[in-house]
Amino acid sequence: MKSFIIKSLSVLSLVLFISCGQSTDVVESGTYTGTVIEVEADKSEIYVKTEDGKTLELYFIEETKLTQNGQEVPFSNLKKDQSVEVEVEKVGKRLDPLSVKIQ
Amino acid sequence: MQDFFDIQTWHPLTVHFPIAFLSLSGLLSIYLVFKYHKAIAQFNLGLLFLGVITALVSLYTGDMEDGKVSRTLCDPTVLKDHENFAYYTVYAFSACLVLWSIKLFTSFIKFKKLIISLILILNLAGLAGLVYVGHLGATLVYEQAAGVEVPDKDCSGF
Repeated sequence: MKSFIIKSLSVLSLVLFISCGQSTDVVESGTYTGTVIEVEADKSEIYVKTEDGKTLELYFIEETKLTQNGQEVPFSNLKKDQSVEVEVEKVGKRLDPLSVKIQ
Repeated sequence: MQDFFDIQTWHPLTVHFPIAFLSLSGLLSIYLVFKYHKAIAQFNLGLLFLGVITALVSLYTGDMEDGKVSRTLCDPTVLKDHENFAYYTVYAFSACLVLWSIKLFTSFIKFKKLIISLILILNLAGLAGLVYVGHLGATLVYEQAAGVEVPDKDCSGF
């Protein structure tokens, strides 16, 4: 019974440890390039995987400028796997996207 | 007064049902692992079923609110953890629901010990997840006023 409880707690710890690795990252204000890995159109939200492997969760705000070939484009132009350059402002631990350029 | 049909009230409204059902079911499941009673196990299965269904509803209402609330938080990573751990908790209790159903309605005698072991592990994981998700939800509300409309200091709106 003792070894069973130890095994159970080990599996539980492993599950929780693996679970902890699923979160997004917070970076300093600046410009980053990466790939769009998810688009949530109903929330005007995108996830960007940067070149150094960080995952940024970006909720578009009123000030966010989305451009493609120098032209402002609607949010629907954003698709998964597109390369983007994002300029973000770190407010607390929130990342506000100021500009998103589809490359 | 807050409009009942405003979706911002739905998540805090719905989230307390799975907390009640799943925490009671989780504790009952642990009791049943060590002292099995068929009638209690059937009652527990009902609780677990209600818990999982209401948890799925809470995931949905939480997802609806996520888009609104995230833009106002100072640390949205807490919300992300709240969301992720809510999913893991539902996965754990859903698996428990399947395993209890197998135990109650089939005769896999060969795997009896394995099923009981998995139920215990998943229950502990589910209960730990439930507590942690609740803690993160409370942190979001109390530290970051997630979804909270703060009244004027002079209470002029009342």
